[in-house]
Amino acid sequence: MPPDDARGSATGTNPTLVIGRARRRFLGLTLDNVIQGFFGGNALAAIIVLGLIVIFLFREGGEFFGQNQHNLEVYRKAGLEYVDYMRRQEGGHAVLNRQLLEIRREAFASFISGKAGQGTLSPEAANARLAEFDHFSEKFSDAVMPLRTHVSELGELAVETKTRFAVSEDRKTQRAQLLAVGKGGEAAKVLIEEVDYRAALAPILAMWGDYQRINRELARQLETLVVEMPLAPIPSLVSQMAEFKRGVQGYVATFPDVERELQAWNHSAPIGWHESFTSFIFGYEWLTASFWQDWYGILPLLAGSVLVSLIALFISVPFAIAAAVYVNQIARRSEQRLIKPAIEFISAIPSVVLGFFGIVVLGHYVRSLSQEPWLSWVPGFPVIERLNALTAGCLLALISIPAIFTLAEDALNNVPSALREASFALGASRIQTMLRVIMPAAVSGIISAILLGFGRVIGETMVVLLCAGNRIAIPDFMSGPSVVTQPVHTMTGIIAQEMGEVSPGSIHYRALFIVGVVLFFLSLFINYVAQRIVLKYRRAL
Amino acid sequence: MQTPNLTMSPESPDNPFRARPSRAKYYESAILGLMRVATYVILLCGAAIIGTIVVKGAATLFQSSFPFVNVTFLSEAPETLHIFEYEGRKMELGDRAYRDFLRSEAARGSTAKPVGEQSIVYSAGGIFPNIVGTILLVVGSMAIALVLGVSSAIYLNEYAQQGRWVNFIRLAVLNLAGVPSIVFGLFGFGMFVIFLGWKTSLMAGWFTLAFMVLPVVITASEEALKAVPRSFREGSLALGATKWQTIRKAVLPFALPGILTSSILGIARVAGETAPIMFTAAYVIRDRLPWDVERVADFFFQGVMALPYHIYVVSTKIPQNEHTERIQYGTALVFLLIVAAIATSSILLRNRLRRANKW
Repeated sequence: MPPDDARGSATGTNPTLVIGRARRRFLGLTLDNVIQGFFGGNALAAIIVLGLIVIFLFREGGEFFGQNQHNLEVYRKAGLEYVDYMRRQEGGHAVLNRQLLEIRREAFASFISGKAGQGTLSPEAANARLAEFDHFSEKFSDAVMPLRTHVSELGELAVETKTRFAVSEDRKTQRAQLLAVGKGGEAAKVLIEEVDYRAALAPILAMWGDYQRINRELARQLETLVVEMPLAPIPSLVSQMAEFKRGVQGYVATFPDVERELQAWNHSAPIGWHESFTSFIFGYEWLTASFWQDWYGILPLLAGSVLVSLIALFISVPFAIAAAVYVNQIARRSEQRLIKPAIEFISAIPSVVLGFFGIVVLGHYVRSLSQEPWLSWVPGFPVIERLNALTAGCLLALISIPAIFTLAEDALNNVPSALREASFALGASRIQTMLRVIMPAAVSGIISAILLGFGRVIGETMVVLLCAGNRIAIPDFMSGPSVVTQPVHTMTGIIAQEMGEVSPGSIHYRALFIVGVVLFFLSLFINYVAQRIVLKYRRAL
Repeated sequence: MQTPNLTMSPESPDNPFRARPSRAKYYESAILGLMRVATYVILLCGAAIIGTIVVKGAATLFQSSFPFVNVTFLSEAPETLHIFEYEGRKMELGDRAYRDFLRSEAARGSTAKPVGEQSIVYSAGGIFPNIVGTILLVVGSMAIALVLGVSSAIYLNEYAQQGRWVNFIRLAVLNLAGVPSIVFGLFGFGMFVIFLGWKTSLMAGWFTLAFMVLPVVITASEEALKAVPRSFREGSLALGATKWQTIRKAVLPFALPGILTSSILGIARVAGETAPIMFTAAYVIRDRLPWDVERVADFFFQGVMALPYHIYVVSTKIPQNEHTERIQYGTALVFLLIVAAIATSSILLRNRLRRANKW
């Protein structure tokens, strides 16, 4: 440092002593005070802003639960909930009907292919063989008709009440807006019709007798139908027919329960705050802009996010850790100098480019690969949807590999070389040293690397938005490993996709913010745990 | 008496200590081989993706005749592509060229009509406004993030009294660095676009992106400041320098390399992110260029087109076929080149400064 610099040119005159020199003041502040204030102010601003993130997420999202409570209240008061019991009952019949169609499809296929043991039949002959079965299945599906008509009548009434309510809500906001700008006269002209739920519900409840009659008739019909059920068209389907029969009997047995539920139903039962909360946290449906009822349940999105992330980690963890160990322990210097920047470079590929690659190349490639006959043993192959959790997972793996690799390599680097040397001196082989000495010493760092990789992947937006298929449903985990080839939607994806279309302040808008809050805390939690693991273990080492 | 052969090679059969083939050895080499394969598979995957985009995109971006770079693609705005047959010829024209063509044909007195017309949006012209928009977004947001971030780091590390509070703030900032970018986008939308009423604008995008990289910049700058030895500061203060003089002359020059590299990595991240600007700053299409405004204030409160968002738009909103491939891969390549240039320069700069700044 040049000696005159410390003195500075602040004074122009040139006193010989530094100590005791009067500093120039402005408003009682020295230059140093001002600079400190500048830095402090900036730091304050930065920290306030970062705090504002939490505040704004809550400010915008917080009202969601209140609105959702209201939403559920209307659902109950307008009688939609009442009708939904019947709709579910009707849905049970549809499931059985599908089962019947499935049996027919199989029987038809085996007639055509000759697997039924009666030689290959022409389609007409096969249809003729199935005539009795068709007659039965027709009667079975017709049996539900009265119930269906009844439900749709009631449904229309309930929806009408709901619409009237929505209109009156709109009018209320309109009046409030007019009053806010001081147009009292016009505000008074806005007609607000208070919805009388009890009166609106009366016709629905009055049809209770009809429902009971229809229900009993349906139960009687199904029971007799099951008794005179035709034999299975081919012997191999006997067990499926028996299962169907049991299904019908079980279905009919639920009817009294439905009736009890309907009778016990009370339109004025209050909806608590916790119901609004649980319908979000444990809701298995995310359904918006529906004519019937909007549901904001996070489970399908959370399940999708977790599924995609797990696929990504399942692929990336072995690769990333193998690469980290290889680069850190085995590779020559020149190889290290090539591999490390190359992997860092992969992390610089923007996610939207990866997503684009997934759409135009990987999706097609995976699908055509899955249609190869020699790969048909792989669960879920051939894939039905081009864009699915697997496509997104593969690309996310490539995103998480550099993150996990870099951190795991750091962790391995931090293991004191004395450990390694001691192990070699005892005659351990390289593999023994790696697995028994170095890995245990670095395991905390590696676990936190994996966790941070998980955090990175679950927060990734563009790849899942472009490649995960965007079907809002809980993936069918019961179907085994083939679940990975199902299209899913994710928390990040839903925000990116729907935020542009919602009106600010609506319940849908707030629901998206609450999803953001969940993501926010999830990532904070993952980060925090990762840090704790490193700290705890570092002390122990 | 036989003298022991001191220059015996390790593999020589006479060497009593030679390595003998064993099952353990066999497994060892197999596992090591597997690790090597895994490492190179990663690199291969990365190379495959970059290779595909470079090869297919190069057809758009480069041409065989002078000036070898497709200037139209880099200097024009996206246009609608019209594909049609005219008097038996297959033609593909951008929107303006298509109108000119029809006009000239009408002037010529031709009565032929275009047959089998098909038009695809954004598939002709270039991506100039997108490049400009991305550059504007990056420059503005990095300026905000650097001023706020570096000053905060200086304050936290040099001025603030170390204690529970400062440690808590550090922990909070560190944790915020891992928050998904879409959450920052959501925050920007709620605060700037809705609450402050800035609409979809450059300003909203700047601040959203700046706050997204702020935790990264603060953490990295603090790390760089901490790496400067304490004795530098003490020596300077002992010579009678003021606090600011110490920071300016004895701390910042040595911390600058670290701050710079982190900020360049921040630029790469800002340039590459799509999620935060989707609903704060990006327009799907905009006719006017950013500087084509009436008042100065309009400049800050206008939405812009941006490369990453454009890639999202062209890969979802238009069909994939041989007509659209050109613009899709071309855009992806240009974007990749920009981000790669930033990332490479950061890696090079870091390596260089590490060597140059040893004390």
